[in-house]
Amino acid sequence: MKHPILMPVLSDTMATGRLTQWVKSIGAKVSKGDAVAEVETDKAVLEVEAFSDGYLAGPLAPVDQDIPVKQVIGYLADTAEEAVQTGQTAPADPVPASEVPPVSPPPKPSLPTEPIPAAPAAAEPSPTSPAEPVPAPQAFPGGPSEGHAASPYARALAFDLGIDIAQVAPGPDGKVQAPEIVAALLAPAQPPLNYGPPYRLESPTKSREAVARTMMAASATPSFRVTARLPIRELQHQAASRQVSLTVALSKACALTIQAYPRFNAVWTNEGLALRDRIDVGIAVEAQDSLITPVLRDAGAKSLADLQSVWKDLLNQTKSARLGPKDYSGATFYLSNLGVYPVVRQFDAVVPLGASAILAVAAMDSDGSAQCTLTCDHRVVFGADAAHFLTHLASQLATPDSLW
Amino acid sequence: MDENLFYWQAVNIALDRAMEEDPDVFVMGEDVGLYGGTYRATENLMAKYGELRVRDTPISENSFTGLGVGAAMTGLRPLIEIMTLNFALLALDSIVNLAAKIPFMSGGQFPVPLTIRMPGGVAKQLGAQHSQRLEHTLMNVPGLRIAVPFTPQDAYGQLRQAIRSNDPIIVLEHDLLYFSKGAVDLDAQAPPMHRAIVRRAGTDITCAAYSLMVAEALAAAETLKESGISMEVIDLRSLSPIDWKCLQQSVEKTHHMIIAEEDSGFAGAGAELAATVQERCFYSLDAPVSRVAGMNIPIPFNAALESAAIPHAADIVVAAKKMLLERSQTS
Amino acid sequence: MDHERLQGFLYDMLLARAFEERAAQEYTQGHIAGFLHLYPGEEAVAVGSIRAAEPSDYIVSTYREHVHALIRDIEPKKIMAELYGKSTGVSRGMGGSMHLFDKERRFMGGYAIVGETFPIAAGIGYSILYRHLPEVVLCYFGDGAVNQGTFHESLNMAALWKLPVLFICENNHYQIGTEIHRHSAVVDVYKRAASYAIPAEQVDGMDVEQVYAHTHSALDRIRAGGGPYLLEFQTYRYRGHSMADPGAYRPPAEVRAFGGQDPILLATRELARHNPPSKSAQASDPAMDVIQQHIDKGFAAGHWQQEDVATMKAQIQQILDEAVAFAQSSPSLSMDDAVYLANQNHAHEVLF
Repeated sequence: MKHPILMPVLSDTMATGRLTQWVKSIGAKVSKGDAVAEVETDKAVLEVEAFSDGYLAGPLAPVDQDIPVKQVIGYLADTAEEAVQTGQTAPADPVPASEVPPVSPPPKPSLPTEPIPAAPAAAEPSPTSPAEPVPAPQAFPGGPSEGHAASPYARALAFDLGIDIAQVAPGPDGKVQAPEIVAALLAPAQPPLNYGPPYRLESPTKSREAVARTMMAASATPSFRVTARLPIRELQHQAASRQVSLTVALSKACALTIQAYPRFNAVWTNEGLALRDRIDVGIAVEAQDSLITPVLRDAGAKSLADLQSVWKDLLNQTKSARLGPKDYSGATFYLSNLGVYPVVRQFDAVVPLGASAILAVAAMDSDGSAQCTLTCDHRVVFGADAAHFLTHLASQLATPDSLW
Repeated sequence: MDENLFYWQAVNIALDRAMEEDPDVFVMGEDVGLYGGTYRATENLMAKYGELRVRDTPISENSFTGLGVGAAMTGLRPLIEIMTLNFALLALDSIVNLAAKIPFMSGGQFPVPLTIRMPGGVAKQLGAQHSQRLEHTLMNVPGLRIAVPFTPQDAYGQLRQAIRSNDPIIVLEHDLLYFSKGAVDLDAQAPPMHRAIVRRAGTDITCAAYSLMVAEALAAAETLKESGISMEVIDLRSLSPIDWKCLQQSVEKTHHMIIAEEDSGFAGAGAELAATVQERCFYSLDAPVSRVAGMNIPIPFNAALESAAIPHAADIVVAAKKMLLERSQTS
Repeated sequence: MDHERLQGFLYDMLLARAFEERAAQEYTQGHIAGFLHLYPGEEAVAVGSIRAAEPSDYIVSTYREHVHALIRDIEPKKIMAELYGKSTGVSRGMGGSMHLFDKERRFMGGYAIVGETFPIAAGIGYSILYRHLPEVVLCYFGDGAVNQGTFHESLNMAALWKLPVLFICENNHYQIGTEIHRHSAVVDVYKRAASYAIPAEQVDGMDVEQVYAHTHSALDRIRAGGGPYLLEFQTYRYRGHSMADPGAYRPPAEVRAFGGQDPILLATRELARHNPPSKSAQASDPAMDVIQQHIDKGFAAGHWQQEDVATMKAQIQQILDEAVAFAQSSPSLSMDDAVYLANQNHAHEVLF
């Protein structure tokens, strides 16, 4: 008897997962709780766990393909013989669509990997054709067009708004209706790629896609920046002597400052200000061609030693792409430290969604201070709040003893 | 001055006032006189106006309807009551070949100022022969005008207008509306006979309905509100001609349209509505026009089956949600 | 019967015959189209009955009604123009051959669905009763119409409410191609009226004087408040049902006999023309052409001479030439005319 293995639902926003590898081969013995495969979601690479004992059996879904959640990706057989008998050929579509209707948009058409000529082929004019390539006339709304089925209103809307409907992602029913056009309108404009050098398209990782999406969303936050020179030499000195990362120590200093100015522990929502009762500080970290923000929970209350230990674990998980949403979501204040790069004299950062502010820390100068820029959500805090915050933080850093 | 009246009372008063106002108006039909009409619509009229003006007829639908046409050709204003529209099938020659065509075929010499009232629709377990609608048949007859009053106010106002008009006009009343009650202002200036009225404003979806189905549409709109859907309900009031402008304005606002009709969906009134709305509003539609209509079977006698064969508010709710909230590939 | 009236009948019948023959000619030449139901053979019925009516009486006729319209003094050219579908036609070109209407002459239309004249006539009768006027409706129908439900429904109501309607059956013994013995269990149409207690008579419809006399007394009786009356005129049509009908279902001998085409009868008639009998015929001879019988009677009684008839025919020929010229030269209809007519009765109303 074979039991199906499903593409797991690993987060509330996950609609599809990309199967990155099968960690067991067909016929291999699997115990309950073992990882049988790895799946990249929009947030991280996660394991697909076996929920019973058995032997991995095919057909197995192919790797590097986006598969809707709850779709069968492989099987667990009760016996090794049974597992091996069932061939290894992976079907292109593991389950007939009619059997398990996708609950999410169908997979995007696979993108070409060959270079795409940047200019139309007509760049070399023939004697009888005009020298300039004739642009294809814009499709009249209602006329046949490529891409997905679209409602007349969606076509008319796209026509009026100058949106190429063929590029619009369809709704859950596979059709393009007005909401999809509006979404496309609000989506960032496509950069013009014609006429430039040839290029090839690379499918972004799930994580990069997620960053792009949240950054777009964050760009709507009304923000302002206040820059200060903060003395960090003493903190750096003390941190080094106690084997604590400067970033962790800075986080603690920030957390204590937030305790003094609790407005910074609030988030603007449509219903009102969400006032958090614990101070979680997120820290921007470079991770596998992307960016992730592991969170130090309760940074105000925990000791620096504890925080350092937590931080170490978080970094290890980041390296192995094992961070889950509970590890990287939910901070109200963020820290971005580029001070490890001595050339960085000054920079600022984007306030992530759900945060009040982010502190950008540049490299330390010879005078022992670093240029620090606090970018704030103006709906949550105001300029004077930021000035108070930075003043308080400066005194924390000048006399860091209270942090220990 | 508003009076709270039953629908049948509104009809009764309309007839009384029309007869009082114009001596050329007379009423004719089965049991309209002594009996007072099966739905009491002609109650007391015979006592007041005499037998010549309130005439009980033999059971000869085609001929007494045709008689009305002949009388109308000489300038009288007959009001013919056909006891139920199921019997009007026997009078179709008089309605279709005579009333609708004489004004035209005579080169305009003979207007036919005839009004024909008939109750119909699905009531309660009357069986297939007495549970029909006829709008699909009559709408396809050029030369006829069709009013479908839903409120007692319209039952009064549209009937008065129909009697005053020089065209042959069919007034389709619904069996189940006669004992509905509503405020009637007998002296109010009635809206034009064929103007559609927005009974409830909305922004997300338009539901066009007529006669009894307006009540179902209004109930559906209330339910949909709980799901955050704002449904506009249009009472068509007339099926020929149809106030396309009203529908168009609504669809251009909501981009979604449902038609609620008790009539069988196949080749019913909704088919005409859907076809013309897509012709006029194609580029405004964000989803196919949806018809919530009666099933394409004779109406069953059994109460449960009878109810299931025609649309109710819940069906309109399902259709609206399907269109707006539950888009899926199976739809 | 006085000289002038008889001469009038003669003129009417010659005009009727000539008009229909001209219509057939125009039809075969492709100038007019559609259904064309012609009246030759039945002229005495229309002429005798309509000449007995008052101008204030109403006429409701069938789809074979050109002659009724002519005898109601609707101008031949307006009827011909209607057959041509021109705006100068009596129904402004919107009715055609089967739907002649003239409000001024109370010609209430030709109806093309068999049996429709009954309820229309009953309705007009109801209107007369309603207004207490000394008017009568002449309601024409063929023998085929009496098996239609409206015949029974309307006769019942007419009798019930004493409506001033004269039901006139033009019994030509055929409903299109089905002879009366094959379509009616009771072939004497007038007997059917007894079911509704309506007085009725069967009259020789080939004798215009008898038609006139019986119609006249029936109308008097109705006008006096006697309620409806029914006259059955026994007649015959010489042509097929319509232009599309060769009439092959009828035995040639029958047609010849009724049409006076029998060579022996023709010879007899010629003889009679030169040696007029001393006394007028008592009854019409079905074997003689209906008009010829009338002519012969006129010869016999000294009402007219051969030359008088020739003069009338020449006059009529000229009238018909003019009618055809008028129809042909009349302007064509536009769709605007049709749309205007379809909407004119509510032009003053605000619909939306």
